[in-house]
Amino acid sequence: MKEPSLKKMTAAEKTEAKWAWAFIAPTMIGLIVLNFYPAVNTVWQSFFKSDPFGRGGKFVWFDNYKTVLAASETWQSLWNTIKYAIIEVPFGVVIALILAVFLNKKLKGTSAFRTIFFLPMVCAPAAVAMVWKWLYNQQFGLLNNVFHTNIAWISDPKIAWISVGVIGVWSVIGYNMVLFISGLQEIPGDYYEAAAIDGATGIRQFFHITVPLLSPTTFFIVQTRLIGALTIFDLMFMVMDKTNIALKSVQSIVYVFYTYAFTQNNKGYGATVVIVLVAFIMIVTFFMQKLEKKMVFYN
Amino acid sequence: MKRIALLVMLMLALTVSAAFAETLTVNIWDNNQRAGIQQICDEWSATSGIDVKVDVIDWDNYWTLLSAGASGGTLPDVFWMHSNTAQMYMDYDLLLDLTDYVAADDAINLDDYYQGIVDLYTRDSDGKVFALPKDHDTIALLWNKAIFDQYGVEYPTDNWTWEDMYEAAKQITEKSEGNVYGMAMNTSNNQDGWYNLIYDYGGNVVSDTHDSTAIDSEGAKAGMEMMRKLLTVGAPQTVVAETGTENLFKSAKTAMISQGSWMINNFYTAENHEDYFWALLPYADVNGNGQADDGERWSCYNGLGWAAAFNTANPDAAYSLISWLCAKEQQIKQAELGVTMAGMPGVSEAFANAFPGMDISAFLAAEDFNLYMRPYTKMTTVWEDPIQQAGGFLDAWQNPEDPAIMEKACDNAAAIIRDAIAQGY
Repeated sequence: MKEPSLKKMTAAEKTEAKWAWAFIAPTMIGLIVLNFYPAVNTVWQSFFKSDPFGRGGKFVWFDNYKTVLAASETWQSLWNTIKYAIIEVPFGVVIALILAVFLNKKLKGTSAFRTIFFLPMVCAPAAVAMVWKWLYNQQFGLLNNVFHTNIAWISDPKIAWISVGVIGVWSVIGYNMVLFISGLQEIPGDYYEAAAIDGATGIRQFFHITVPLLSPTTFFIVQTRLIGALTIFDLMFMVMDKTNIALKSVQSIVYVFYTYAFTQNNKGYGATVVIVLVAFIMIVTFFMQKLEKKMVFYN
Repeated sequence: MKRIALLVMLMLALTVSAAFAETLTVNIWDNNQRAGIQQICDEWSATSGIDVKVDVIDWDNYWTLLSAGASGGTLPDVFWMHSNTAQMYMDYDLLLDLTDYVAADDAINLDDYYQGIVDLYTRDSDGKVFALPKDHDTIALLWNKAIFDQYGVEYPTDNWTWEDMYEAAKQITEKSEGNVYGMAMNTSNNQDGWYNLIYDYGGNVVSDTHDSTAIDSEGAKAGMEMMRKLLTVGAPQTVVAETGTENLFKSAKTAMISQGSWMINNFYTAENHEDYFWALLPYADVNGNGQADDGERWSCYNGLGWAAAFNTANPDAAYSLISWLCAKEQQIKQAELGVTMAGMPGVSEAFANAFPGMDISAFLAAEDFNLYMRPYTKMTTVWEDPIQQAGGFLDAWQNPEDPAIMEKACDNAAAIIRDAIAQGY
């Protein structure tokens, strides 16, 4: 089919087309200026040894890539990021799902609970991190005081990554839960009635009706949270001091990008680190799409 | 259509008038100094008729914003420069060249200021001046009298060696059974901490010519060995990194910390400030004659610079403000208001009286001994952070019992600094 060219359009169609462009222009311009241009520019810069202010610089082909891929720091931080995602995504999804199922029932005070669980989402991430930082504090922290322990929650490399992951889980539960609740409300009540008549218990109903019928929502949440978790930065940055001994085994790959691009003003190297992350996210997304065809149930 | 055209013209007119409005934007990073700086700027406004808006942006974001502004050409008119980054901004011509202005200005004579600070803001390659010295700072020892009283330990004196500090810290840590730490210092307390030991024992972090390091020299290693001893009776590094030395001190968990003069107001306004006292930073009695001789007591000093954007809309006004802020009269005023000590020697006495009830003369007394400029290279942050982290001195801070690790850390730090210098940083 041939696209109607501007010349063959009637006057009315032309006016309509103009208005259409006018209406999408704000979004288009926003996307181009704030997303597309920076993305292309990042790829461009990754081939440069740029000056400290990200202007010009020397074209160095794949030198940045060679250094980034050869640096153990890159792989360590990528692994740290994956570890974070392994905590945040599954726990964030499962806990949110269970809460959603309970809060979807007609019980007293559900809206109050929904609000409470959603609250972390409303708080500024930096504020959340600051509060948790002090909860975890070894000397004065609430956790150690309540449990009468003396654990270095965020300074012991063995457990610091879990502590940071827990904050992540806590902050996303509310958001995931709201998505799950809206997904749950799409499932027709007839299925549950029929299952109840056939004598299925609540647990069976959950696994045989709720879980499969909710899979599109679950998939959407997993997909978006996975990308969110892989680009995590603010938690580590806010919770851990620069001189924290556990930093190297917790810092995410975006943290490494920040260090190079903004602390050391090596924009080209920073851009390369980000491209490596983008490549990794693309691979993950590719497999997620494969998985979608097998696991997700669209009725 | 006509209406739209009218609207566009109106907006244009507004933008243009905003650009020509007589206002200078000033960016600084220290909220403690805002009120005083604003007051001095307002006095300038009264004579010049140009308004000054002082914005405070915290240290980390300050540099992110400034470098973004430099890339995008939207720098504030007048702002602070620091030794960590000044070389970089000067090399890329992002600061207004003040050379001709200074030459024509009767109120400013560069010989009046601390030479290290003048050198810092003068470009090596062509001798152009890009910022004027705003202030200088020194380091002193801060101690909590209540803790010394409680454990019956003798107070710090101005004749203390680092060994004396070690003994006192040891007593406090032991007598309190670890409840209170004798001292606390993090790897990030460089300028206001362990750098000074390196110089006391004859080493350096970066040479005066900013192109080599002696952080692995015998003297530096002796200094860091003393540091290691102090750490064995101080707060563990994990505690320091999580809580911060200032918080540990303010919550009476540590008896002694070393601090820079820019922090005075922070402790002066603290809850238990009547317990807080300042002493001269201890010295290293290298020749063992029981007194601080030349070269045995060093304090780091650093000076901020007032700089203007290379593309400021109003360079004459920007320089006029900088000249005002750095002229002798306002430098004295700055000290009187307790903002900071002056960028020129001999006019800071007023600063000592700016904090009634707290004796801060130790910061001024430090100047009678040796001062060294805060170590810097072209891009200091490239090596400054790594030597504080794992692979640098953090390893030694984690294991203060083992002298070999500290010695290794000195070698590692030297390698990191040399590598950065070799790469042109």
